[in-house]
Amino acid sequence: MRFGNVLITGATGGLARLVAERLKESHELVGADARSWPSQAAFPGEFVEVSYTHRKMADIFRKHRFHTLIHMGRIRTTSEANFHERYNVNVLGTRNLLDLAKKYGVKNVVVFSTFHVYGAHGLNPMHITEDQPLRASQLFPELQDAVDLDHYATNFLLQNPGIHTTILRPTNVVGSRLQNDITKILKSQYCPMVMGFDPMMQFIDQEDMARAIILAMRANHSGIYNVIGEGVIPYSHAIELAGGTPIPIPPFVAYSAASILKAVGMSRIPKHLIDYIRYPTLLSDERFRKDFNYAPLISCVESLKNLRHLEN
Amino acid sequence: MAGMFAKLRQRIIEAGLSADELDRIARAPLHLNSAGFDEWGLDPQTIKTAVASFKWLYKSYFRVETKNIDRLPKGRAVVVGNHGGQIPIDAMMVILSMLFEGEPPRIGRGMVERWVSSLPWIADFYMRCGQIVGDQKNCKDLLEKDETVVVFPEGVKGSGKTIEKKYQLQGFGSGFLRLTLETGSPVVPVAIIGHEEAYPGLVDAKPIAKTLGIPYLPITPLFPWLGFMGLVPLPTKIQIRYCEPIHFDANPDATDEEVRAMVERVRMTLQKEINQGLLERGDRIYT
Repeated sequence: MRFGNVLITGATGGLARLVAERLKESHELVGADARSWPSQAAFPGEFVEVSYTHRKMADIFRKHRFHTLIHMGRIRTTSEANFHERYNVNVLGTRNLLDLAKKYGVKNVVVFSTFHVYGAHGLNPMHITEDQPLRASQLFPELQDAVDLDHYATNFLLQNPGIHTTILRPTNVVGSRLQNDITKILKSQYCPMVMGFDPMMQFIDQEDMARAIILAMRANHSGIYNVIGEGVIPYSHAIELAGGTPIPIPPFVAYSAASILKAVGMSRIPKHLIDYIRYPTLLSDERFRKDFNYAPLISCVESLKNLRHLEN
Repeated sequence: MAGMFAKLRQRIIEAGLSADELDRIARAPLHLNSAGFDEWGLDPQTIKTAVASFKWLYKSYFRVETKNIDRLPKGRAVVVGNHGGQIPIDAMMVILSMLFEGEPPRIGRGMVERWVSSLPWIADFYMRCGQIVGDQKNCKDLLEKDETVVVFPEGVKGSGKTIEKKYQLQGFGSGFLRLTLETGSPVVPVAIIGHEEAYPGLVDAKPIAKTLGIPYLPITPLFPWLGFMGLVPLPTKIQIRYCEPIHFDANPDATDEEVRAMVERVRMTLQKEINQGLLERGDRIYT
């Protein structure tokens, strides 16, 4: 049986492809991304290479009359693009997509945000709930686009009660098929740590995350939700489980070292990420568990151990 | 490196803890995840190492004597102590008393000053020992999970007070009381006698403390004159006296005036117990 059409943005990303594979039997899928399709395996549906701010986007909405928009097309790593490019894709792109969703009668919208929007501070409460202020850009203006994207989606949610809008703020998503910053760090042989700081961290496995996104797209209500996997674990243990070696760096050189190494192309770790491996930034997912009857299936230990397995 | 550290830790635990003490730690109610930590970052191995390392302070150095610990109810509770003595020995002793002598044994959750969270190594150590930054939300979450929270509502006003104010309770904050109302938790005042003489502050060198960005800097008969040696506390005998739990059955939205009255009741109960303890102790500070 076929349900409504689904548009997945950021379709070339590892997580988007996992979601698409899970939905291909039950939905007509269209994948969109500003990047070209990278691998031999085909997208399970129609794939369009397009900028989210391009006029062509409206044609796609008009042609397919989507039931659901899963917006995962955010430039996540600050190393991938400069601030202006990220602003264009993440903020203006999101605005265009949400405006089109409203105009062309989309019923369900899922926006894939990030826990980075809360900011990493020594003073955060231990378990951050969804009503905490988004402070990320106070310390790192380069995270302003992520905060703006989240705010824009929240405004959309409030202004369009007829559209079921779910904003997900997941913790560190890890998995062998992903290319995000934290996965790259954990997959590398030598992993930086801030000397004297070994924060507790949360992780969610790619499979659990894909499942959470699909649960959210079938929601019959709107809301903002933190999403986490099983367990809380010190960063050093996570590195150990993933098979890497921790390299402690004194805090007073860590930030400048990140900037210099990135500038000379020796590292792709963005400066802001250092705060997330310095201070615990833990989420409470009680709301998501309750509203979606969700429980993670893969433990953090299992997930980190599986990280180096190659699948494609 | 990590392997060496784990081996050293294991040796400290084996050398420092008896079978009975290990059993007490094992019986403390904990909710551990697949990696062996609880959702607050508590690590039983770090707890065991810390207890093995510091139990001589409790048993031999301060020779702690606990009275009426059976008054501590099972499940959620807010334990309210008197603060003093410059360094937080009082919190450590109360938490150890719950573990060594409480039935069932439990790991008390101390509320740590916010600025501690920025200290390298120390912030993580506190967290692994189950001690949490003193944020209202953290405290409420812990109580809702039936944990025993240990608070010192005098804050730095209490710990930083000089010796002429010993055992005179300073003003109490009221945040803890609203949380007890919201979570339906009993309040257990606990009088700690002895620690306020362990580190007798004569003067608080406020301008230097301000320059260093720390809440206070005590000048004692031994510090800074003896350098780091001057930081060693005096071997006073410590007595920990648990009071009857106080159950407040009031609306959490009570006015500030009503809450202040309840706070004052806790403060007076605690001051009375302190006075009783001092009376019984007399001049025998060290024996």
